[in-house]
Amino acid sequence: MIQPQTHLNVADNSGARELMCIRIIGASNRRYAYIGDIVVAVIKEALPNTPLERSEVIRAVIVRTCKELKRSNGMIIHYNDNAAVVIDQEGNPKGTRIFGAIARELRQLNFTKIVSLAPEVL
Amino acid sequence: MWAVIRSRTCSLSSTNSQSSIFQQWKRPFTIDGVSNGSILELQEIEKVLTDVKADDVKVIPVPKHCDWADFMVVATGRSTWHVKNIAQALIYQAKQKQKGAERMLLPTVEGQAGGKWIIVDSGKVIVHALDEKARAYYNLEGLWTPETLQKDPIDEDLQKALVKVRRINNSKKKPTQKNA
Repeated sequence: MIQPQTHLNVADNSGARELMCIRIIGASNRRYAYIGDIVVAVIKEALPNTPLERSEVIRAVIVRTCKELKRSNGMIIHYNDNAAVVIDQEGNPKGTRIFGAIARELRQLNFTKIVSLAPEVL
Repeated sequence: MWAVIRSRTCSLSSTNSQSSIFQQWKRPFTIDGVSNGSILELQEIEKVLTDVKADDVKVIPVPKHCDWADFMVVATGRSTWHVKNIAQALIYQAKQKQKGAERMLLPTVEGQAGGKWIIVDSGKVIVHALDEKARAYYNLEGLWTPETLQKDPIDEDLQKALVKVRRINNSKKKPTQKNA
């Protein structure tokens, strides 16, 4: 359940360290974002000497949420952190590698690029 | 620290039981013209890629621990138009193959608007069409070739450490040994 003002970890090597959600893309008055949703976020913390800087506005895909994800076969997945992957307007990830486990729902939501870079798919 | 170890042991112990669950997860395709769960076969993809003159085609078998696909095909296009045409040719081939079928099953295409990196996801075979810059940037071969996918030494140590070893009980000696 990601809403504006939620701080997110970054699960890739794009150079950003921490994001803050400022808008959820979708319907006009949408409350929460879940795994596979695109949010507009601002970079709160970034590594030095990387293309991304602090206070830059970017788009990101939610890949892990503390709120549990239910599957139709009864499986429930929840992670210990809220994490996102930085993408550009076309949907290409800014980083080249993704860290940590991600859910395979992302493939059905047309984020195969992120899934193919990930080390582990749950 | 303990949470990490606990989660790792869970993943180690439950791999066998989970594999059966993941098997259920894959939906079987039973539409005519489509067999073995993939819309395009590997040979067809290779033929199409040679026809459209894609450069540097590489077929990479996906390592076993990733069960979401069998093969990755990486191809380079000379320009954004060329990359888009590679994707179009693959979709055309899928359409031609299922001509006359009641319900056509088309591969998922991602990134068609940009033309830097297009993924044609046809079930078990995934085709990546990239331009030269994107291919050098993302280095997909380096990620998926088996040499680079070595296991962490820490992981193996943990595996050894958490195997339950029964202590040898010296207090009770076997009666057969006494007799001898």
